[in-house]
Amino acid sequence: MRRVWLLALRDLRLEVRDRAGVLSVLAFFGVMLFVMALALGPEEAPLRRAAPGVLWVALAFMSTLLATRAFALEVEENTLDDLLLTPGGKEWVYLGKLLFQLLLLLPLSALALLLSAGLFYLPLARAPALLLTLALGVLGYASVATFYAGLLARLRGREVLLPLLLFSLVVPVVLASVRATVGLAEGLPLEEVAPWWQLLLVFDLVYITASALLFPLVLEG
Amino acid sequence: MLKTQTPSRPDALTWVFLGLGLLLLPLGLYLALAAPPDVNQGYLVRIMYLHVPTAWVGYLAFFVTFLYSLLYLFRQDPRHDRVALASAEIGLVFMGLALVTGMLWARPTWGVYWTWEPRLTTTAILFAVYLGYFLLRGAIEDPELRRKAAAAVGVLGFLNVPISYMSVKWWRSLHQTQSIDLTTGRIHMDPAMLQALLFNLLVFTLLYLGFTRFRAMVAALEEAKEEA
Repeated sequence: MRRVWLLALRDLRLEVRDRAGVLSVLAFFGVMLFVMALALGPEEAPLRRAAPGVLWVALAFMSTLLATRAFALEVEENTLDDLLLTPGGKEWVYLGKLLFQLLLLLPLSALALLLSAGLFYLPLARAPALLLTLALGVLGYASVATFYAGLLARLRGREVLLPLLLFSLVVPVVLASVRATVGLAEGLPLEEVAPWWQLLLVFDLVYITASALLFPLVLEG
Repeated sequence: MLKTQTPSRPDALTWVFLGLGLLLLPLGLYLALAAPPDVNQGYLVRIMYLHVPTAWVGYLAFFVTFLYSLLYLFRQDPRHDRVALASAEIGLVFMGLALVTGMLWARPTWGVYWTWEPRLTTTAILFAVYLGYFLLRGAIEDPELRRKAAAAVGVLGFLNVPISYMSVKWWRSLHQTQSIDLTTGRIHMDPAMLQALLFNLLVFTLLYLGFTRFRAMVAALEEAKEEA
């Protein structure tokens, strides 16, 4: 458990010191929202309708950009093998990277929520419920993204391959998150949104467990 | 039943599966055309005798890929990987056929070839996942890494299959619910139609077994050539 935290915090510190990565991702997100807002017109109604979809598509792109960074430094500096040389199980490498991604993604996605609330009239009245959706969705996304980033870490052309593999696998997560967000934005009672949360939770648990179990098998010989 | 040694030509069991499947295919077609028309859909229902078996083979094939991918990850035996590859390829073809027959049926029934309802969407996603499986295989040159990465996709990608299967019930969508419900064991179908459908399911399963064994053998030959 301590190793997981150490790895996550180390990566987080490197990422924050570097700044370029996080800032470019945030800028990308902003530009994307602006383009969407321009394309969908100045009237309020279409923007309001599009808000949940735009938010999640933008979030998906953003997390894909970040996912390549999970293992990029390790490969550049040839430290991945050192990590794998540590005694004991290797699940913690995956969990640490996942935690790092989450620590990075959660604040960013909260910011993204604020941005889309400002530009797309997404009502923030039920912020706690929205944040829960956000957390569950981002967790599901990051669990698969981290796994694939590790799998493809040593591969040339991973930047092209990663989104392709990722998007097809996480569509269920995005689907459930969008439905939950739509429900919240339209003011449905919580009982009607809850099934989507359940589905998201099941996804998250299954993906994380499966990824953590498969990760050591895939990374070493 | 699917594992093959590394022979240079198909063994007897492969020929039995393939021969039986190809021989019984016309009979299945006859049964499908002889079955009574549906109360609501009329003669259009006959597409079902192709649609359901192809979709079934697609799901079955992806399940086999899942199983052999897991086996490969634990045992590291290239034979398991070859079966997973063969099964995924056959599954992709049959899933594509299921999508096409479904579209042909949807046009006169719903008025459109394609609509974004849950069953169709999840099936399209499934199709995309296994397309990704082959793109990944093509992109990695190191054979061992390729096998491992593909196995990981084969395992994780399969998580979508139960979702696709259950989507009709969970979302109560436009798509017909299952006529043979595997989760409750109930059957909503006329016996004459059921007979024809079950027969076609059997024929397609035989064909699947034959094709997969054949493809796995071809994969073994390819690998032998790659190494030489």
